[in-house]
Amino acid sequence: MGEQARILIADGDAPVRRFVAALLVHGGYEVHEAADGESALQKAVSLEPRLLVLDIVLPGKDGFEVINSLKSNPATSRLPILVLSVKDREEDVVKALDLGAEDYVIKPFSPRELQARIRKILERSR
Amino acid sequence: MDPVRLLMVEVVEGVGVFLALLTFAIVINKALREVGEALDRHRRTLIEPAVFEYLGAASSRPQRDALPRSSSRRDRRLVEEILLEAARVVKGETRDRVTAAFEALGSVRETIRALHSRRWWKRAEAAERLGLMRSRTAVEPLVALMSDPEAEVRIRAARALGLIRGSTSIRPLVSALADPSRWSAIRVAEILINVGVEAVDELLVAYETLPLNARVSALDVLGRIRSLRAVGLMKQCLSDAHPDIRARAAHGLGLIGDPGTAPDLIRALRDTEWPPRAMAAKSLGRLRDPAAIGPLRESMRDRQWWVRYNSGEALRALGPEGLEALIDMLSSDDPYARHMAVAQLEEGRVIDQFVADLTSNDAGKRAAAIRFVDKVTAAARIDDTTRQAARSAQEGVRHALSNILKTPSPAPASSPGKGDGGRS
Repeated sequence: MGEQARILIADGDAPVRRFVAALLVHGGYEVHEAADGESALQKAVSLEPRLLVLDIVLPGKDGFEVINSLKSNPATSRLPILVLSVKDREEDVVKALDLGAEDYVIKPFSPRELQARIRKILERSR
Repeated sequence: MDPVRLLMVEVVEGVGVFLALLTFAIVINKALREVGEALDRHRRTLIEPAVFEYLGAASSRPQRDALPRSSSRRDRRLVEEILLEAARVVKGETRDRVTAAFEALGSVRETIRALHSRRWWKRAEAAERLGLMRSRTAVEPLVALMSDPEAEVRIRAARALGLIRGSTSIRPLVSALADPSRWSAIRVAEILINVGVEAVDELLVAYETLPLNARVSALDVLGRIRSLRAVGLMKQCLSDAHPDIRARAAHGLGLIGDPGTAPDLIRALRDTEWPPRAMAAKSLGRLRDPAAIGPLRESMRDRQWWVRYNSGEALRALGPEGLEALIDMLSSDDPYARHMAVAQLEEGRVIDQFVADLTSNDAGKRAAAIRFVDKVTAAARIDDTTRQAARSAQEGVRHALSNILKTPSPAPASSPGKGDGGRS
């Protein structure tokens, strides 16, 4: 097996974050966690992950602000972002995609589907 | 020593001892709670990976083998807690594994027992947990709970049944649309809307057996679910004896949006009661069938304001042809139709467009704008144009409008950026 892809998960809900992290570790990825928007931004720069799984509802900076900051920073503008959020309104999905998110998955989610989407994003960004 | 003084000393001592014991009890209680929480956190870090592995595993290992084995009540509670948290955020195969785990652990059986608690909030909480567990074995006890004397318990049971789904759980929800409490019936309707297409067949089957108020709610739910399977029933209901049913069916057909129902809705525009006529007009606006323009024009002359309003709004939704019909209505011999046409053209900002053309370099556009404003003036609804004649930012517009309206040309209302502050 080659080098593990590094994924950063930013979710304010600790049990959900740990669950998604466990799923991805089980899927063979190297996983790091962030509990709020600010630490997500810092870790996105310092860890250089290949993908950010991001919730919109975050303490401090919300998910939209995080996407905006990452996309306007040349160092992180190419980092693919998959939004995983309970926000299911059409305008939220469109806003996230317009800001530059690669994909949007609504909670409750199917873990298998999430893993498939992550695989596809990583293949595309290779 | 003075006996009174002695008594006071004893009282003070007693209070002191009581306060000391109370403080001690609070400290011990807090310490025990913190120790318990620390133990929970520690045990959870050990249990959680096993539960997550079970939930994320693709293979279907028997639940008892996959889940952490422990006879401790604390561990069982923690496993249940982790599963309930996961139940809120997962769907698909993983969701089925959560349910299987609850059944294997005996949590479903225990929670069903809690439905018989004498305390209503415990029954309500148990119902809610069973909804998250989604075990079909809970359907029957939850259906029984729908007759609970406490409305909140009935609603939690209804919500749980809505989450479990399946025909056996949806049927009692449909019956609950007849709940004597209007508030409960509304919440049950919301639950059925969330269930979605799975609820349609049960609603269609049960419809005829429901009392009037529940039939009205059922039509509302069917309309909001927007299932084409409900079109037949809705069309049939357009000829129901009760006007509320006819109105709700007309509204539902608009929500469903089947273009084939336009002729039925056009017929409903001639209903003897105004609510079905108003709802039919609204729905025709949603269907956007040009064939409805003529009948909607006719409904602009209806004796009821709501029918005229919905017809005008529907014409506006029908695009340029509908707007043309509204402009044409400005010359109607019916003053109510003329007034409604002006109101709709105002709302659609059509008047603004023509007013802007009054200063156009294109002579044809200018002439068309003057003819239009003349029609609005003749319709005797000149509030908006009078306002624009006084306040338009363009001097040309103010003069042209003032000439048509035969009013003296006013001075500019305000300089740009200053607003209209202080004017009445």
